[in-house]
Amino acid sequence: MKLLKLTERLGLVSYRNQAKSEIKPHIVVDTDICNSTCPHKCTTYVCPANCYTMDEEGTVHFQVEDCIECGTCMYACDQGAVDWNYPDPEIGRGVTWNFG
Amino acid sequence: MDEKFDCIIVGAGVAGLAAAMTLARNNMKFLLIEKGEFAGSKNVSGGVLWGSDLAKLVPEYWEEKDGGWERFINHRRLTFLDDQSSFSIDFKSSHFNETPYTGVVVLRSKFDRWLADKVENAIAESDYAMDSFIATNIKVDEVLMEDGKAVGIRTGEEEFHANSVIIAEGVNNLLTRQVGLQDDYVPADHVLTGIKEVIRYDQEQLEDRFQLNGLSGMSNEYIGYATDGVEGGGFLYTNRDTISIGLVLGLKDLREKRKSPHDILNHFKDHPAVRDTIRGGEVVEYSAHVVSSGDKRIMPKELYKDGVLICGEAANLLMNAGKAIQGMDYAMRSGILAAETIVDAKEKDDFTSNTLKNYRKALDESYVMKDMNGFQDAVHMLHSPEMFKDVPNLVCDFGRKFFSIKNEPTKKSRKMLAESVKEHSSYWDLIKLGLKGAKSL
Repeated sequence: MKLLKLTERLGLVSYRNQAKSEIKPHIVVDTDICNSTCPHKCTTYVCPANCYTMDEEGTVHFQVEDCIECGTCMYACDQGAVDWNYPDPEIGRGVTWNFG
Repeated sequence: MDEKFDCIIVGAGVAGLAAAMTLARNNMKFLLIEKGEFAGSKNVSGGVLWGSDLAKLVPEYWEEKDGGWERFINHRRLTFLDDQSSFSIDFKSSHFNETPYTGVVVLRSKFDRWLADKVENAIAESDYAMDSFIATNIKVDEVLMEDGKAVGIRTGEEEFHANSVIIAEGVNNLLTRQVGLQDDYVPADHVLTGIKEVIRYDQEQLEDRFQLNGLSGMSNEYIGYATDGVEGGGFLYTNRDTISIGLVLGLKDLREKRKSPHDILNHFKDHPAVRDTIRGGEVVEYSAHVVSSGDKRIMPKELYKDGVLICGEAANLLMNAGKAIQGMDYAMRSGILAAETIVDAKEKDDFTSNTLKNYRKALDESYVMKDMNGFQDAVHMLHSPEMFKDVPNLVCDFGRKFFSIKNEPTKKSRKMLAESVKEHSSYWDLIKLGLKGAKSL
């Protein structure tokens, strides 16, 4: 069978508050740490939803929109850059599994 | 709502729901809080629920035609993979067709919601039909402490008060950390990232493909090539008309080897034997979640405190000792034991550690901690590089030699084995591994 790209996989995920523009991010990342002292920038490859990306200059960026609340980055980051929480059901964008 | 509950349970997963069911049956006044829009909406598992504790919570659950579970397991398979081959230990027995089943496959969004319905029924039949609740869409921000004792929870501006709090929040245990039972920062050493796809088939096609009969099902674990050199393993479970296929990958090892879990999932699915097993079908969901390794070093310092009990994967109760990945059964049992402790505490009117420490005692005496304690060596062995690399390569290499028939004199299988051992490991390493294995299992 055809192997899916990550974007296609994430397209299958149902999120709540998808259309809300004023959503509050449930994970706050101090990318200054990623981009100064972090020796491995591992979140850019271990995150199953690719919320952490690296641009051509090697700078790490974080966007919470595709987050599936798995917790991987909270454990993977050993530099203290990731402040992890669950999204607030009212004002956060969160995942809702159809199968789980 | 000024009234005080006997207990507030945080999290409507397997542990929280098992606790709630037990409390309802014992006429306790409780509140079960879930952050998702329904029980199970935020939960991910592989997943097989092993053991028969489910029958304790929902007697004769199998009689229900469209119950919350997918299929019962009567077919187990462990597959070793190298880049081209698969070598399986395969066991199927109608012995496992008997109820109560010893393992059922579940999809959590469906199963937890179904179990929550059963809890609602139990609440309705209890003395507190109007005063106990399952409340969804609420995120607990804080466990309220007074003089070192938990007295309730806070969500936003609102507070709910109770004599006790059961934390069943899952592996990302922020509240457990907040009450001081686990360090604020937990390193990646003993956690894995689980990653999964649910693939849908025509049900008849699925049943033909996997030789399923009625609601019988198969569980297949994989080691070797599946994880592309990273610590961990793969799994495939049959649901009613879908399969759950995925991997658990050591997070520290992923970080050190600089690999992406979603790339490795494609690597696994593209193995020639796996490709043939899963062909056709349509991917209908992609999910991921952190999983504990089963290493006791990651467990919280203690599982109770004045007014608080920790159960399920919040207590890192999950283990793979090579025979099965167990976690939901531990969650269920620990939830039941936690609730029973609360019932006892209410009788004594003492919700301090004095009574709550009995939870730890009961858990230690149960199969949960006996297995967690007894199989630590197996856990360490399974997470050693030999197990996810050398051994699967050796087994597959031997298989290739053993099953090849050429028109030339055939070597004795002992010689073939010796060659495979020489190529992928050494007798000395295998003896060491064998001794470790004999000791650990």
